[in-house]
Amino acid sequence: MSRLADAFASPLFRRAMLEAVLVGVIAGVVGVHVVLRRLPFFVAAMSHATFPGIVIASTIGLSLFLGGAVFGLVVVGAVLALGAKKALDNTAAIAVVLAGSFALGMLILSTRPSASRDLSQILVGSVLTVTRADVVTTITVGVVVLGVLGALHKELLLGAFDPAGAAALGYPVGVLDGLLLVAVTVTLVVAVPAVGTLLAIALLTVPALTARLWTDRLGPTMGLAAAFGALSAFGGLCAAALWRIAAGGAIVLAAGTLFAVSLAATSWHRPRLAAPAS
Amino acid sequence: MRDLIVEPWRAPFMRRAILEVALLGLLGAVVGVHVLLRRRAFLTEVVQHTVFPGIAIAFAFGYSLLLGALVTGLASVLLLAALGRRRRIDSDAAMAVLFAVFLAVGVVVVSRRHGFQADLTSLLFGRILAVDDRQLIETLVIASACIVAVAIVHKELVMRAFDPAGAEAMGYPLTRLDLLFDIVVALAVVAGIRAMGTVLAVALIVTPAATARLVCRRIGPSMVVAALIGAIGGWLGLVIAWDASVNHDVRLAPGASVVVVLTAVFVIVAIGTAIARKLMVRGAAR
Repeated sequence: MSRLADAFASPLFRRAMLEAVLVGVIAGVVGVHVVLRRLPFFVAAMSHATFPGIVIASTIGLSLFLGGAVFGLVVVGAVLALGAKKALDNTAAIAVVLAGSFALGMLILSTRPSASRDLSQILVGSVLTVTRADVVTTITVGVVVLGVLGALHKELLLGAFDPAGAAALGYPVGVLDGLLLVAVTVTLVVAVPAVGTLLAIALLTVPALTARLWTDRLGPTMGLAAAFGALSAFGGLCAAALWRIAAGGAIVLAAGTLFAVSLAATSWHRPRLAAPAS
Repeated sequence: MRDLIVEPWRAPFMRRAILEVALLGLLGAVVGVHVLLRRRAFLTEVVQHTVFPGIAIAFAFGYSLLLGALVTGLASVLLLAALGRRRRIDSDAAMAVLFAVFLAVGVVVVSRRHGFQADLTSLLFGRILAVDDRQLIETLVIASACIVAVAIVHKELVMRAFDPAGAEAMGYPLTRLDLLFDIVVALAVVAGIRAMGTVLAVALIVTPAATARLVCRRIGPSMVVAALIGAIGGWLGLVIAWDASVNHDVRLAPGASVVVVLTAVFVIVAIGTAIARKLMVRGAAR
């Protein structure tokens, strides 16, 4: 336990904790939309797609957030363009774009001498080295994203459950969908310093799904998802300090543990419906 | 030019790498065309990450990487089938959870070791130039098993992809068929893991098949075209990486170079078919 107390005595660790918990809350809430709209594969693709942007930004010394976000948005455009052509279904387009952009990032990175150290930082994050500026960015992004999602809550909800109805009512469905994808992408980019590009998908899906197991109502799901996200971040960082394991991995494992416990607990109470095999 | 065609073949490691990529290209084409028909591309992506803890643990304790990958790959497919039966968890969500948690286990296991970063890199990105004869034979065995399995249930898989309700009404055991297919996909990913790494193995399955889909309507020809694209693109990618490091002193990761070439082929074909279709529409209008 003294190891944990030592960790909390360090300002670096406290800052990392703040960053991780903030990311957990934001990603938890945004994750509910991801799960509602069945976007997990899109998130997986985006988390890989931001990778070359981050690599390029770190090579030429730009902000990693900026690089990741710009490249991510370009890839969103590519996926939408390929999907619009109807020649390929969406999943195929996403998979091709995902693998291609990851390979591109790797190719650029492999030309650098310190390739493997940089790579592991980007892939699995290094929350203990976040700067004050990172925390400020996270707070700003969090306020903007949560504000936009809150203001458009009703419209986004309608769009998720009944896109045709929303369009018939005159809502700009395309713009709303695009806005949500941008919010997801920005959240992903903010999560990268905490858990890395590979594991960012975890914070955007697992807490939301865990919350979903407990309730069918949307408001409580979002509250619970934020709480589970924050709890995973807290527990994971404590575990990382105690046993000296990678922080990003530990945070995701904590989220996974919460999911497994919730799965067991909810299957105890509720009668299981036999789902038809699809 | 001759240097680029003949010289790489003289180096035994390049010869093995080119053979390995060609084999994986063939396997990827046969499996990949079915993956796209069934819209299961996410599954390949998930499996390539869920096998990561398997190879990380096998690596840490000195077991065979292939064994570790096989065990976790199959375990994740079975878990996926079990999770998918729960209400409130659709199959995409179940895959996302498994993806994240398995990957995190792998990262944590690797992070306990010294030399963490170099190990992580080689496990994530593979070592295609370090393929040995034994690995080639193992790839050959897995590839033959998968291709035979797909050939046997080809008709059922196609039927199931286009008309699930019809297939069920005709009495096909869909649950077992789906599980078999998922296992074949997992095996195909596992075969590619050691050479291409756990983030790029999916490219040899999905990208050539998607390119073939753009130009072929029929299933058989798509497989042939995909296999050719996989093999030729793989060879070209390896030669480019070789040329860059031997003649221009730029280090390029060979696995990544292969995937970038395959993606470039896809982009060129996508643009080409889009232009061709526009011209045809214009021609028809006249």
